[in-house]
Amino acid sequence: MSRRRRYEPNLNKNSTFTLNITSMTDMFTIMLVFLLQTYSTSDVQINPEANLRLPSSASMLNPTEAVKISLSQDALKIDDTKIADVKNADFLPQDLEDKDTNFIKPLFAELDKLAKSSSDKAHIKEGRILLQADKELPYQTLRKVMYTASMAGFPQLKLVTMVGD
Amino acid sequence: MRRMRKVKINHNSEFELDLAPLLAVMVKLVPVLLVSSAFVQMMVIETELPQVVNEAIQRQEKQDIPTNIALEVDAKDGINIVVTEKGKDQVENVPLKNGAFDYEGLHQKLIAVKKAHPEIFKIELNPDGKVPYSEVVKIMDEARQARDVNVKFPVFDAKQGKNVETNYMFPEIVFANMMEG
Repeated sequence: MSRRRRYEPNLNKNSTFTLNITSMTDMFTIMLVFLLQTYSTSDVQINPEANLRLPSSASMLNPTEAVKISLSQDALKIDDTKIADVKNADFLPQDLEDKDTNFIKPLFAELDKLAKSSSDKAHIKEGRILLQADKELPYQTLRKVMYTASMAGFPQLKLVTMVGD
Repeated sequence: MRRMRKVKINHNSEFELDLAPLLAVMVKLVPVLLVSSAFVQMMVIETELPQVVNEAIQRQEKQDIPTNIALEVDAKDGINIVVTEKGKDQVENVPLKNGAFDYEGLHQKLIAVKKAHPEIFKIELNPDGKVPYSEVVKIMDEARQARDVNVKFPVFDAKQGKNVETNYMFPEIVFANMMEG
């Protein structure tokens, strides 16, 4: 009798089946390491614009809080608001001051408004600007933005660049 | 008769690790990191724009070092390094190489300039209007830091009271021709 009991197969119908998760854990560990590597430590989120290719640079400074201006092949924007059009790598004549062709009127108006309405913010008080500009644009177009920004009281310009080639 | 049951311990058995809690943590961590990871890393180059403010002019006048280094970038003639010392201009030209800017030549010449004036960190950049933005960024890259790690420049650190070595050349970049018409 005891012999018969010993060879009885242990079939428990209610037991849950166990999944072999070792390989899955393996995969997740690799993914975790990869994602930790690409984890962005900078506190400022920069959203890339359409039709804008940033130049690459060896600079390793993290962006700080500032007014974000983007200058692509077809538009000048502050944050996500379109300020002026760009055509053939230059601004339209109606956006520029007649006597001073470096002065972009709508950009100045917007920056001036920003400086007056939220002057309590540190980055506006210090006049910091993050400029994302397309790498194909000539310097004279960029200079107009810089000139207007400086006139509006934003002299600290930071150029956003990409890491690597 | 009561017999004591002998507890059998199999020392050769493999124990099974419970991976379920570990997996649970990972399943939560992976989406969190996916959201916050930056696949395109963006960095910034700090520059300063000249301002027409009396304060800034006064500050510049107060500076003890009258030496000024400027880079004039022209799409046709290449890059001119203008070193103004005691009112005298000394111009060095880096001509174009195969129709493009000679970055290696510029870098070597800037190292030589920095060795002659280790106390200067500010450089003025005057690019021509037609120079593309990417070229301007590359020129700034060449001026910022010596690429060769063995090239070091002595800097006097006031806090420690001794000379410290750095491979930074001209990290302060000013777009000087911005105000011109």
